[in-house]
Amino acid sequence: MISLAGRDILHAWGKFVFTGVGLGLLIGVTLVMAGVYRGMVDDGRALLDNSGADLWVVQQDTLGPYAESSSLNDDVYRTLLAMPGIAQAANVTYLTMQVRKEASDVRAMVVGIAPGPLGSTPGWPPYLVAGRQIARAHYEAVADIASGFRLGDSLRIRRNQYTVVGLTRRMVSSSGDPMVFIPLKDAQEAQFLKGNDAIWQSRRRTEANPAFNRPGVPGLLDAVIASQSANAFVNAVLVTLKPGQAPDAAAESIRRWKRLTVYTRAQMEGILVGKLIATSSKQISMFLVILAVVSAAIVAFIIYTLTMDKIREIAVLKLIGTRNRTIAGMIMQQAVALGVIGFVVGKITATFAAPMFPKYVLLMPLDTVLGFFAVLTICVLASLIAIRMALKVDPAEAIGG
Amino acid sequence: MKSLPIQRRTLGLLAVIVPLLALFVYVGLRSGPLAPVAVTVVKVEARAVAPALFGIGTVEARYTYKIGPTYAGRIKRLDVHVGDAVKAGQVLGESDPVDLDDRVRSQESASKRAMAGLREAEARQGYALMQARRYEKLQGAHWVSEEFAATKRQELQIAEAVLSAAREDMARALSDRDALVTQRNNLRLVAPVDGVVAVRDADPGTTVVAGQAILEIIDPKTLWLNVRFDQLGANNLAAGLPAHLVLRSRAGQALPGKVLRIEPMADTVTEETLAKVAFDTLPLPLPPVGELAEVTVDLPALPAMPVVPNAAIRRQGEQSGVWRLVDGQLNFVAIKQGASDLNGFVQVRDGLKAGDRVVLYSEKALTARSRFHIVERIAGISK
Amino acid sequence: MSGHGIRIEGLKKRYGSGDTAVEALKRVDMQVAPGEVVGLIGPSGSGKSTLLKCLGAVIDPTAGRMTLGDETIYEDGWKVRDLRALRRDKIGFVFQAPYLIPFLDVTDNVALLPMLAGVANSEARQRALDLLTALDVQHRAKAMPSRLSGGEQQRVAIARGLVNRPPVILADEPTAPLDSERAMAVIRILNEMARKYETAIIVVTHDEKIIPTFKRIYHIRDGVTHEETGEGRAFA
Repeated sequence: MISLAGRDILHAWGKFVFTGVGLGLLIGVTLVMAGVYRGMVDDGRALLDNSGADLWVVQQDTLGPYAESSSLNDDVYRTLLAMPGIAQAANVTYLTMQVRKEASDVRAMVVGIAPGPLGSTPGWPPYLVAGRQIARAHYEAVADIASGFRLGDSLRIRRNQYTVVGLTRRMVSSSGDPMVFIPLKDAQEAQFLKGNDAIWQSRRRTEANPAFNRPGVPGLLDAVIASQSANAFVNAVLVTLKPGQAPDAAAESIRRWKRLTVYTRAQMEGILVGKLIATSSKQISMFLVILAVVSAAIVAFIIYTLTMDKIREIAVLKLIGTRNRTIAGMIMQQAVALGVIGFVVGKITATFAAPMFPKYVLLMPLDTVLGFFAVLTICVLASLIAIRMALKVDPAEAIGG
Repeated sequence: MKSLPIQRRTLGLLAVIVPLLALFVYVGLRSGPLAPVAVTVVKVEARAVAPALFGIGTVEARYTYKIGPTYAGRIKRLDVHVGDAVKAGQVLGESDPVDLDDRVRSQESASKRAMAGLREAEARQGYALMQARRYEKLQGAHWVSEEFAATKRQELQIAEAVLSAAREDMARALSDRDALVTQRNNLRLVAPVDGVVAVRDADPGTTVVAGQAILEIIDPKTLWLNVRFDQLGANNLAAGLPAHLVLRSRAGQALPGKVLRIEPMADTVTEETLAKVAFDTLPLPLPPVGELAEVTVDLPALPAMPVVPNAAIRRQGEQSGVWRLVDGQLNFVAIKQGASDLNGFVQVRDGLKAGDRVVLYSEKALTARSRFHIVERIAGISK
Repeated sequence: MSGHGIRIEGLKKRYGSGDTAVEALKRVDMQVAPGEVVGLIGPSGSGKSTLLKCLGAVIDPTAGRMTLGDETIYEDGWKVRDLRALRRDKIGFVFQAPYLIPFLDVTDNVALLPMLAGVANSEARQRALDLLTALDVQHRAKAMPSRLSGGEQQRVAIARGLVNRPPVILADEPTAPLDSERAMAVIRILNEMARKYETAIIVVTHDEKIIPTFKRIYHIRDGVTHEETGEGRAFA
């Protein structure tokens, strides 16, 4: 027996392949959409991975530092270091802002990293793709490559110039903004530094307040102003644990004795994925569902049309005694072949298109495999409609009149 | 059996399908988690690192003279403005004396009155002395009674006491006057040293409390930098070390300087060590007090040791170390770090030797199971 | 193949039921011997197509009897379980338009039937090739149907009708799209093949050119057949 489906495909392979490519582009869009969703989730995970922390200590009763703002005194880490089971504790600040780059500016998350021994202080970029880590205590920055900065560029955060000394890759905030790492003290200053005019106005306001500007107490005003412009706060303390420590137990003891809120890696992931990007990921997955439905409808339509074109041949085949099974097999094989071509084209398209997106698009092998089976299922289901129609064809139609 | 049309069609189909499949396989293997991680490799070198400390500070004057009245009062005149050079002893301004001059005049009258009282007491005492002497003689000749002579002696003693009181009264009145004059003179604001007026806080007519500074005078020749160094790595900081100073207003222009002293009190809040750094020669024009400056202090060079760039140092579990390339395999080696310099080179005290090859940059975080391929530089980095 | 060809006795076909019922075939009696080619002529609506469909086992007659060779295939109901196999193995079809499968080459178009019946590919192709040679189109054996001329296509269609050596071939207007010369050639081939393969061939036509070539003609009018044997119908 010869393969009727194969012969039909070979006969009109140009049309078939072009249809497959068209379908493939659609599947590619669907895969990319899935990749966008995975990319969002991965951005959140990358943020957690890159921070290198086991525990996040934040202001009491906040979901900080990523989902909510959180503010801690910058000496809290010392009391944490004294607790059993804790290996390292490092202050960190996060500030999403526009970083000025010559004439333009880029949206970036400025991370203030605490000084400490290299390779064991949480918060530092875990790996670089160029340059070096920050070596000076001030005015050096390590930027993510997605920000567009290059080594030696100078960038401006608030009123200070920083020199880019290192580049990272995939260091992004949960919303996909590239990170810029700067020394903690500079970041603390940047975070709370008001504009120069604002500082002036604030000084004037303080001066006008008789409680602070008392004639009988010289120096009080200066002290008040100095205390207003100082900042001894950070957004979170990143904590690493000694080997063998249960994160939950350590977190509980900090919660209990230090009256602070602590999140473990699993909880943090829950916050980021479950809360921070929940609506946008739902949006994307909704779109994904629609795309999948549209793809399925189009596959069904294509297969239906391909079958409609062959209605006469199917009538003849039936008349000369072809079994229903053979005809059904022919249609289904074609549908599956179309699906396979579409999938291959789609996967290739998606892979080459993914790096062109401004935000991260993560194509997971598991998604690809699931996508493959989904495409096959859709093709098989779509072909069922065409098969049903083909089986209804009356062989008598082949006999004229 | 095969004839040409089928063959051509088959070939055509193969020409489309085979590259497509090849591309598919390539895509599957070269992207996503299955793809090998691009890494760059660097050779560990033995060399001396010249560690340095980097801190920021502000320009400050070594001495600041705050000048103000010692009594509450109104400012009458102020002759100098900010930026004026002043000499030691120069009168800079004056507080309004209000009633001080009248009180001096009143004290002068009071002292004259005391003088008159003194003269009266002297006259009384002279007469009483004369009388006492006369009655002494008369009594000796028994012309008067003993009692009479005793009365005259007592009168003399009283006159002497009155005279002494009048003298003291006189001295008090004079001192009171002198005190008021001194006070009057103290209302003048006088420059204690040669210098420049840095701050003028009040203008004539302003009422000031006792002790409030009206003028600040600094000596520009004593400008130095109050510098904050992170306590990490500051253990080798010592007086006398050479330093490069870059003023914010003169970026790119490093001025030579020297560490003058390390403050015995560190800042507990900011965890910084404070130090004073002086210019070797003061830059002209003089930088304003309060200007920000970046200071790099060169610490003594250390003997040659294996060094790695700091970008090579990674964290794996609890350990920090590097990925060493041995026979095409990557192993994580824990290292003990030594001193580092500002160019990002870190001494390796233990764990590596010169000539070892270690991973410098990588496209992704590495794990022991990562597939990798060595590249010249990571894609996307332009030189 | 068989000594009897096809025999049809008292075949009736009624569409619908009750008042609206239409008697498409009232009484059909036909008999075609192996090796014989007969014409079936009738105006539109005479029941020609219905008869053909009944013979081709794609619709069910209402009553009557059909015998194919020695086997009674219908007697007030189908006597054969697998009508599909019956169509495949016992009845050959040649249509007005050739209706070749466009995506199969000439050989496979012909060989498809034996293949469907389970004959090995190579043997089926050999049989097809033999037939194509007999029909003088072996030089187009590997061509696709769309590249063939109308006459060639019809010959391939005849080969397909013959390939399973059915006792009967039903030809529905096989000469309609052809000019008279080619039409004559087709009829000649049908006659040759009928003789060579001992097949009974029923040619449904209203092509005036070829009617004189039949020795025997069945007229069908209002669902009733009339046999006509005329002088000068002999065809060499």
